[in-house]
Formats: sequence, C-alpha cells, structure tokens
Amino acid sequence: MGRYILHRTGAAIATLIAASIIIFAFIHLIPGDPVYVMLGDGATPDQVAALRQRLGLDEPVIAQYFIWAGNALQGDLGQSVFFDTPVTQVIAEGAETSILLALITMVWIVGFGIPVGVLAAVRQGRWIDQGLSGLAMLLASVPTFWVGLYLILIFAAGLGWFPSSGYPSIFEEGGLSNLRYLVLPSLALAAPNAALILRLTRASMLDVSREDYVRTARAKGIRPSRVVVRHILRNALLAVVSAFGFTFAALISEAVVTETVFALPGVGRTVVQSILRRDYPVIQGVILIIVCLYLVINLLVDLSYRLLDPRVELE
Amino acid sequence: MKYGRILGGVAFAALMASPVWAQTLRYATVSEPPSLDIQMGTATLASTIGQHMFETLYAFDASAKPQPFLATGETISDDEKTITITLREGVKFHDGDEMTAEDVAASLNRWSEFGARGQLLGLEKAEATGPLEVTLTLAAANGAWKSMLAYQNGGPVIYPGDVASAAGGDQISPENYIGTGPYSFGEIRPNRYVELLRFDDYSKIDAPLDGQAGGRDANFEKLHFIPVPDVGTRVSGVQAGDYDYAEYISGDLYGGIKDDASIQVKISAAPIFGLMFMNSDSGPLKDNYALRRAIQMALNTEQALQVSVGEPELFKADGSFFPEGNVWYTEAGTEAYNNGDPEKAKAMAAEAGYDGTPIKLLVSTNYKEHYDQATVFTRQLADAGINVQMVVVDWATLLTLRGQPAEWDMFMTHHGAIPDPVLLTLMNDSYPGWWTTEEKQALAKKFTGTSDLEARQATWAELQALIYEQVPAVKVGNVYSFDIASPKLQTTWDSAPAFPHFFGASN
Repeated sequence: MGRYILHRTGAAIATLIAASIIIFAFIHLIPGDPVYVMLGDGATPDQVAALRQRLGLDEPVIAQYFIWAGNALQGDLGQSVFFDTPVTQVIAEGAETSILLALITMVWIVGFGIPVGVLAAVRQGRWIDQGLSGLAMLLASVPTFWVGLYLILIFAAGLGWFPSSGYPSIFEEGGLSNLRYLVLPSLALAAPNAALILRLTRASMLDVSREDYVRTARAKGIRPSRVVVRHILRNALLAVVSAFGFTFAALISEAVVTETVFALPGVGRTVVQSILRRDYPVIQGVILIIVCLYLVINLLVDLSYRLLDPRVELE
Repeated sequence: MKYGRILGGVAFAALMASPVWAQTLRYATVSEPPSLDIQMGTATLASTIGQHMFETLYAFDASAKPQPFLATGETISDDEKTITITLREGVKFHDGDEMTAEDVAASLNRWSEFGARGQLLGLEKAEATGPLEVTLTLAAANGAWKSMLAYQNGGPVIYPGDVASAAGGDQISPENYIGTGPYSFGEIRPNRYVELLRFDDYSKIDAPLDGQAGGRDANFEKLHFIPVPDVGTRVSGVQAGDYDYAEYISGDLYGGIKDDASIQVKISAAPIFGLMFMNSDSGPLKDNYALRRAIQMALNTEQALQVSVGEPELFKADGSFFPEGNVWYTEAGTEAYNNGDPEKAKAMAAEAGYDGTPIKLLVSTNYKEHYDQATVFTRQLADAGINVQMVVVDWATLLTLRGQPAEWDMFMTHHGAIPDPVLLTLMNDSYPGWWTTEEKQALAKKFTGTSDLEARQATWAELQALIYEQVPAVKVGNVYSFDIASPKLQTTWDSAPAFPHFFGASN
C-alpha cells in the first residue's frame, strides 16, 4: 500500500509538471493581450508598452514560465492582471462557492441516482423501470443552461421561493441560510449527472444480480431486501464509486455554465472570464489547481476500491 | 399534500432568512470593471461606477452643456491658450482632507501625461496659482477644452495630489481610490461585487441636480455593482426582486418585457453606433478612396441593423455621427449613407480598379451585433462583386490584431455617445485605421482652434462630409440599448444616460 501511494505520487508530480508546461504554452499561444483589454480604445503605443513592462509581459515566454513555475513551487501563483490582487486570493474567493456547489450537487446525485437506480433494477422491465429510464434519458439530454434558466423562471421569478442568482458567503451576513442560493444551481448541475449515476447503478445492479453468489444467497432463503443491499448493491457500487470520482472532479469544470447562468462567484466562471480577458496568471493558477484536484481525487478513488472490495490489490 | 406542506415550509423559512437590502442599490452588470482609476481607461463600466466616487472640474447638464462643478468659473486669455480656473471651497476628499489647487494641478498633469484621453487636450502644464486657483497652459487653443474637462470616461477626475503624483503612469490601486464624490470606495470582491459606501461628509452643491451637474444626493447607504453575465439571469433577477437595476438587455428580449409590470424599461438616451473601420496604413484600401466609396455604396445598413438588433424601436439608420437634436447633428455627407445599391457599387469598384483581391474583415463573436452586421455586409458586398473574407476571432484577439496593419483591411467595432467630435476615435490619428490625411489634419486643426460654437459646428459639418468622401470608417447606424429597473426604483432620469448614475435615486 505504502509503495503504491509513493509510486502514484511520483507519477502525479510528473503529470503536474507536464500539465504546467502545456497550460503555460497553450495560454501564451492564444493571440490577444491583456494590456489591450485593460487599457481600452484610447491607449497609445507608449501606454501599451509601459503596462506590458510593468506586468512582465515583455520578457521571453520561456523566462516567464520559469519565473511563474518557481513562484508556484513556493505557493505564489502570481498577481491577477485584471484584479491586481494575488491569484491565490482570487481562487480562494471562488473556491468556497465551487466546492459547496459541487458537494450539494453530489448530495442530489447520490440521493437521487443510487436509490432510483436500485429501484429501476429491482423492478426491471416493469412500467416503473421504463418510466425512470425515460426520465434519466430526459435529464441527461436537456442542456444544463436550459434547466437552469427554467428553474430561475419558475422558482425565483415566478414563485419567489429561492434567489435567482448570486451567492453571498456562508461566513457573511445570513450565515448558513445563504446556502439557499445554491439550491437551484445545484439542481441544474445535478440533473445530467444524477441521470448518469441512475443508469450506471441500474446496469451494475443487473450485472451483479446474475452472479452465482447472488443465486446462492437467494437459494439459502435470505430476505430479498437483504440480498439486494448486502450482496448486490455493495458489489455494484464498485463501478459507481469509480464514476463518482470523475463526476466530482468534472463538476468543477462543468460548473462553468451553471456558474455563468446563476451568476455564482465560482472558480469555473473566474477561469472563463479570465480567458476572455487574457488574465494569464489566473488561468494558469486555476487550471493548475484543477489538475491537482483531479490527481488527488483519482488517487482517493483508487484507494477506496480496496475498502469496498478486499480482493482488490493495490500494486 | 404532506410534501406540499414541507416544500411550503422550506420556502417560508428561506423567505424569512432573506437579508434586508433596502438600503443597498443592487446593479447587475454585464461583466466586471477593469481598474476604477478612470483617468487611465475608457471602459464604460469603470466610468459608470467611478462617477459616483470621482468628480471633475466641470459636469454636463441635462442639455449636455458643461457647467462648473468642482470649479466655480474661469477666465481665458485672448489667444485661448491660458485658462485660469477658480475652485469650489471646502470640498472634502474621502480621506477627510480638503481639496486644494495643488491636488487639481497634480491630477490634471498626470491625466495629461498618462491618461487615456489626456493627450487630446494639448495641456502643457497645470499650475496651482493660488490656494483655490489653477492655471492651465495649452500648446494651442482647444475649443473643446471644457467638454474634455467635464467628460468622465478616461477623463480628468480629481484625486488627492499625493495619490496622483505617486501613481504616475501606473494604475492607482484600490486602497487609494479617493475622490470627492457622494460615494466612497468600499471593496472589490472578485466575481462578487464592487461596493461603494455613502460619503457622509460630501460637499454638495446647493442647487438642484441638472443632468450630472448641480447637487448630487446619495440616498442609498451602499451601491453594489454585481457581475451577472447571462442576460436572461439579469432579467429574471430584476423580476424576482434580487436586483434593482440591470444593464445591457438584448434587443430580442424587448418585445417580451416592455409591457411587463414587474420591470421598468429604460431605453438609452445616448445611442451607440457600429463602425466598420478601413485600413489607411496598408492593404488594398490604403488610399483607394474610390473603392471605399464603392463599398459604402453597396451597404444597406438598415438591413444590417434589422438583423443585428431586430426591434425597430431600438435602432435608427442615421448617417449623422451625432443624433438628431444634438448640438453636433448635421446631415453633411450623409447622402452617401445607406444606399445599398450593388449595381452602382459594382461599377464604382471597377472604376476604382478593384481586381477581386480578397478584403479581410476582422470581427469578433463576443459582440453579437458586430458579427451579425459583418455577416450581412459580407453578403451585400458579394452581391456587388467585392470579395470580403471574414476573419472571426474573440474580442481580446481582435484588440491585438487590429494594432497590426498587415492583419486586416476592415474591422468591426462600436462607439459610445460622446459630448464633442474631438472624442471620436476617428479623430484620433493613432487609433487603428490610422486616418491621417492632410485634409483631415487641416480641418481638425481648424475645428479645435476656436471656442466659437458656430464656427466649430460649421467645421464639424465639413469634417463629417470628408468622412463620407474618404471613408475612414462606415457608420452602421444608431442602436438604442436598453436597461431595466425594478418598479420601485426612482431615478432622476427616464431614459438611461450613457453612464447610468444614481444621484438622487431611491427605492
């Protein structure tokens, strides 16, 4: 186990270095210059040159990479060109929103996807299974922004039950009640992912239910509900948990659309806006952190296999 | 029934937990502003926010005439090159210090040297010649001097002298956003809001508000400018009562909300207009004015406006660079506007020696109107046998590419409402397009060389006619963007100004 973790950590560091080079190169290959975005139409060539020098954009790209990578190793991701504040602060501002949004979304996904998937599998071929499968198809195929806009129209503008957009921090006035700002966005974000987990749980449950040990358990006269929970579901979850890891990490990037529709101050929207403004340090910093997140989550998912299935060997 | 009760309970609890926002004006913006050091940039949003914090020596009244604001008056030398301005007494900065002539001189000198529009005035130096007196020395008489001192966008707002001097060519950092306006700087939370706070020691002019001039009241405790990029969310947010004001609502939504009782529609009083610039530095259009006129002849701008804006109430195919009723309105040269005659254009292009060389039209997808207009123009020009190739990029790329003459022949942009023709980008020799012909230079010199309004109006008419003759850019037409407000919001204006302000506004 120790060797495995060491091996995976080494691979993660190599991946991170490669990713940092790719991120930096691609961002600087895109045409466009933050200086023109900041100074606007009236800028003279002298003003453009002066700001480029102040921001360090007049250095060769390779030199800029090594300066950035060296600082990043010390935890300094640089200064946002647009906000004139440390990138770490810009990311921290967005992190709370994105993490809470992802966690609440996961609650909807798990709370809906797994039980409903189990129900569909148990009632395979009956009307309830067909109805739920149809619902899953619908949820998976409707675009998130469309779901989001209709949720706003019905539950915010129409019924006035939830705020239409924005999110004040839970550490500010309003405290935990501010979580109500995340109800509609998390539902919009959860819809396609819950449908995926529903379909996966159903398929995995059906696969496992055909195993010999399930037949044996039933032959021994064990209660059907116990067979489903202890013998089928637990084994079926192996595939589902694997999907959870990817889903959680993907939520951070998928949230871009949701964060834009609901005007949430999250990391996804920050990175999109930063790309439009060519705010290189923020783009680099956010993507680097997302890459780290993917690597850590993948490692945790691999380790969790062992907990769910003692037969799995981590080598 | 049971679930209905639970849902109702959750909704009730949510409503009970809602914070009280009554003292805060919540303005949903289309994006986030760059630096609020508005001397240094021309971003519309930075001016919209910044005008509540920073003030100028003069301010435009409701008829767009500059009136003394931080100034009380002026005397001008016979050659119009020396202007002595007296200042209002007892004006306080947000840090508690009183404004002096030194502060004003330092601010004007910084703006003149580094400001976004500073070089247009031709200020040689600004000196404090008394505790409340500043003397400006201009390199040449400039008839637009007062308008330029009144125009906030990239304009000479007054900062404390030490802040202005220390910043020099760098942008002032947020902790030094110190002005004399009725609101002071609170904080910037990236992606969340920009917050301004009411300044209780504000030195208000004892006169009613008239446009931007006169007494400015701050009735809200706080102003929050909240980025809400999605237009549908801005509309729903105002309908739901989450925002008091939302800017830049797209024209295609106008029909659906103009009669909505939960929304006030605020159509802009200051139309913006699209421009298709031509490259005067290099390429097939460099100095081939006959070919440019052929292009102009082919364009049916009304059709382009119909496609890009849609709602007839929100656009007008008008060739004048200033709207009807404005002091600078003239029809000179506009007979060449909106002809849409492909046959005549084809003949004119042949006469101009056009051989089918591809003409590169640079356009961005970030502004839907630009892209729609470029698409219509490309087809109209194809009908006239003119081969246009659209180069479609994002806005940040366009801003870079348009600075490189070899990369384009025409590019699409737009222009906001301005108080004086000298502020037109067309008049700026270094603006991409680089229109610097001798005829233009001569007329521009004549135009800025006098303060006499009638003489300036006559010269501007000549300049507009020259624009239609040499075609440094084609005007697309006037677009009246619109904003929306909650029904409770009372503002001192009915039609939205170019930079909506909330002086005297209340909920």
